[in-house]
Amino acid sequence: MTGMDAILHGGLQGYLVVAILLFFLGLAAVLLRRTLLLQFMGVELMLNAANVALLAFARFRGGDAQAMVFYLFIIAVAACEAAIGLALIIGLYRHRDTTDSDRAASLKQ
Amino acid sequence: MFITFALITLLGALGMLLQKNVVVAGLCMVAAFFGVAGLFVLLANPVAAALQIIVYTGAIMVLVLFVIMMLNSHEEEAGAARPVQRWLSLALIAVLAFAAVKLVLASAGLNALAVKGAEMPQAMTLQKVGTTLFADHLLGFEVAGLVLLAAMIGAVALTKRNL
Repeated sequence: MTGMDAILHGGLQGYLVVAILLFFLGLAAVLLRRTLLLQFMGVELMLNAANVALLAFARFRGGDAQAMVFYLFIIAVAACEAAIGLALIIGLYRHRDTTDSDRAASLKQ
Repeated sequence: MFITFALITLLGALGMLLQKNVVVAGLCMVAAFFGVAGLFVLLANPVAAALQIIVYTGAIMVLVLFVIMMLNSHEEEAGAARPVQRWLSLALIAVLAFAAVKLVLASAGLNALAVKGAEMPQAMTLQKVGTTLFADHLLGFEVAGLVLLAAMIGAVALTKRNL
């Protein structure tokens, strides 16, 4: 399977193209949206794109279990990032009464 | 099957990007995460699919939706702020994505790997994951636990008003 056929029927390149598009949609959310919660969801999307690429490579290398271990570590880090990120957003909302990242441009009040 | 789950994933992500309402954007993200879980099933990895649903749609997105409801902020995004930067970032993203897709499709090494690993491997089992995790990566496992504990304490310290 090569080219368009791989994209349509789930060859390695198909999964990688999905991962790339997912990553850039997440990046677009981070760069284009101004609501911090949506930017945070964009970061989660980018982490998911990395997971898709990782597990696609693992499947095409004969179902390597090492990839699952790395996947576990990635979601552990993603969970930590979710907890800390949302706590920071709540802290910002308390101080500035906003979740707009443009309105939090200066570090000092 | 692959194209169905790929479309669910990408349309969910696109919906998140374009949606004005934050709660609806969160639900679009849930759809995208379910699509990714479906892709993991097609990759002969039901363990990862279950973890994806439990951790991402079950834990992280519920946390996000709780925060959305807790903050209850109905701000509109300032649409026309900094148009030059927005168009520049959009152009950059389009060029980078196009170049990356082109590279993946043109790569001979990836093609060789796809042909070599074409037959479906045995499905991933929890037993295999557990053996690898505790035999080869015990230190990493402990460190991950420590990182989670630190994140938990940090989140409490950041959100509590007077500690």
